[in-house]
Amino acid sequence: MVELNNVSFRYGVEESGNLHEASLVHVDLTVQDGEFVLLTGPSGCGKTTILRLINGLIPHFYPGVTEGSVTVNGRSVQERELYETVLQVGTVFQNPRSQFYNVDTTGELAFGCENRGLPEKEIYARIDDTVRRFGIEKLMDRNIFRLSDGEKQKIACASVDVAGSEIILLDEPSANLDYSATLDLREMIRLWRARGKTIIAAEHRIAYLWDLIDRAVILRDGIIVKELCGAEKNALTDEELSAMGLRSVTPEAPDEIELPALKESDRTMVLRDFVFSYPGAKQPVLNLQELRLAVGEITAITGANGAGKTSFLNCLCGLEKRCRGTLEYEGKRYDRKARQKLCFMVIQDTGNQLFTESVLDEVLISLPKEIAGGKERAAELLKQLDLGNFLDRHPQSLSGGQKQRLAIACALASGRKLLLLDEPTSGLDYAHMMETAELLNRLRDMGTTILVVTHDSELIRACCGRKLSFDAR
Amino acid sequence: MAYSSERSQEARRGFLDPRTKLALVLVLAVFVMGGLGGEALRPVKTILSALPFALLLAERQWKRFARGILMLGIGYGLLTVMPFLPRALNYLALLCGGILTRFVVTVVMGEYLIATTSVSEFISAMERLRMPRAITVPMSVMFRLFPTISAEWKSIRRAMRMRGIHLGGAKASQVLEYQLVPMMTSTVRIGEELSASALTRGLGGPTRRTNICRIGFRAQDAVLLAGCVFVVGVWILELCGVRLW
Repeated sequence: MVELNNVSFRYGVEESGNLHEASLVHVDLTVQDGEFVLLTGPSGCGKTTILRLINGLIPHFYPGVTEGSVTVNGRSVQERELYETVLQVGTVFQNPRSQFYNVDTTGELAFGCENRGLPEKEIYARIDDTVRRFGIEKLMDRNIFRLSDGEKQKIACASVDVAGSEIILLDEPSANLDYSATLDLREMIRLWRARGKTIIAAEHRIAYLWDLIDRAVILRDGIIVKELCGAEKNALTDEELSAMGLRSVTPEAPDEIELPALKESDRTMVLRDFVFSYPGAKQPVLNLQELRLAVGEITAITGANGAGKTSFLNCLCGLEKRCRGTLEYEGKRYDRKARQKLCFMVIQDTGNQLFTESVLDEVLISLPKEIAGGKERAAELLKQLDLGNFLDRHPQSLSGGQKQRLAIACALASGRKLLLLDEPTSGLDYAHMMETAELLNRLRDMGTTILVVTHDSELIRACCGRKLSFDAR
Repeated sequence: MAYSSERSQEARRGFLDPRTKLALVLVLAVFVMGGLGGEALRPVKTILSALPFALLLAERQWKRFARGILMLGIGYGLLTVMPFLPRALNYLALLCGGILTRFVVTVVMGEYLIATTSVSEFISAMERLRMPRAITVPMSVMFRLFPTISAEWKSIRRAMRMRGIHLGGAKASQVLEYQLVPMMTSTVRIGEELSASALTRGLGGPTRRTNICRIGFRAQDAVLLAGCVFVVGVWILELCGVRLW
């Protein structure tokens, strides 16, 4: 049993005087053995903080000031050593790329058991059992760096399973996954349910597990605002959910949304000979002889992980030397080099494309040199994108949504006609997803052609007018 | 047939024990890269230099083998053409050739160690050497940090190209600074997430760890370790003024 008793928490170090605002305020939460509880709510509502309090990362790794008590099976998490708590509590994290200690998958599955000193024979038996139940024989003895994000997340779940924890915490495990990988994740959670594990999940994308949960706990600004279970939970409509800042509870595959790839009236651009394969690979990941896309519209690009969507964006931007395709856009032909000056891509790790030390400088390096009054123009653009108050902030200190808007401001400053976005709403809550959708609509109205690679059905519904599906080969 | 992790670990067992690999890296670093020892060690060093390449072949690491040979070839090539070059280039060729011929062999040996040793094997070997955990843990993290850092580096380079920042452009002087700003932020973030994850899986507890990997000395280890002892022995004798040949 997990119990939070009147818990308040603030991140930071009290002695040095830099305490943050309260992340949790007087939270009471009891999770019974075998229960499956969903924690949800807008970004910053405190759901991840609750998980960290239960697995002991607070206070043993993240410093802060805790009031009230947190107990797991009657033992205080704060007073106990971290390695004792984690014997009972296993955690799957959001980022598939940064939760591995090993390079090979088998070593990764064994890691938790090795750390607690179980005999080798037993570890072998446990691994074989998990591999059989999860059906992941194909992933064994592989280099983790060569797996897709969906496969990595499967290994993360499997390693929690091998460790045999009774309580399993999931911290936005689906944020980076496509639709079918999310269904695989759901299947693993179902297996845990059948074994009577206690599960606590923090999520924005709640559709894939809504019918599995016993109870939904909705948080806002560190306070539990609502608890739903049984008939009340099932009767909830999407309107009521979005009023609470939550996403839809109805799962919808992006491929099932009916949208035309092109309309008769569309102006088009033509892509020719976009063929690309990774060095050493026999099959090309991308093989487009001729493709027409709508100009001045927002086109969603969907398809499973590994279908070549991101490679497609890279080729279109002219970043792949091995792709010799050409683009015909408004009567002009663009080869690879020329496309580098036509396209702007907002990548998934937006932080990796912001290089300077202030928001204003960031836009200035994208502004063409010959334009007079650069500073005023940059400031004006930032104001339009609600970043007017952050001109002197360090780009890396902005929130995820703000970084994304800053990257878009740079795109506008550069005057490039084609805007490409790679999964712009992964891990965003309902309100932020809608903000992104509205911004894209505004840019389209200004005449920008936009391509969005996305798994997010709600984003497609909110802003995309055309859709193109990539099939996995 | 059902998957058996025990059988697969046995099949994956490396040609050498990680401790033997470490000993070889050390000996190469000191005698080939560091240049310790005089005339008497010269023939020994030639044999030592060939060793990492032979090991790469034994473990079917063709790409690494080819790359190593290529770099070494360039190094010796530069030293060969050096006397025929004009003065400015002459110095440059000497410098590059010298660095390549000295460093490549040891770097290749280090690469062999990293490429053919799993994290689990490495920790297991360090524990059998009774290394304290304060050394073992950071060193084992390096195994996965190298590929992570190289992936981040590539992603940032790509993003810079997309935004039109490249060497030779108007902003060339700032390219390195631009590269480092996101690099530091993302490395710190990944490091933090990595530590948090490792802690929730019980790393750092007082229990004595077990390891599922198979390591241990076999005939080939004995031969190579004896070789290492021999090299050190010849060097000590040379210091004492005894010449073996």
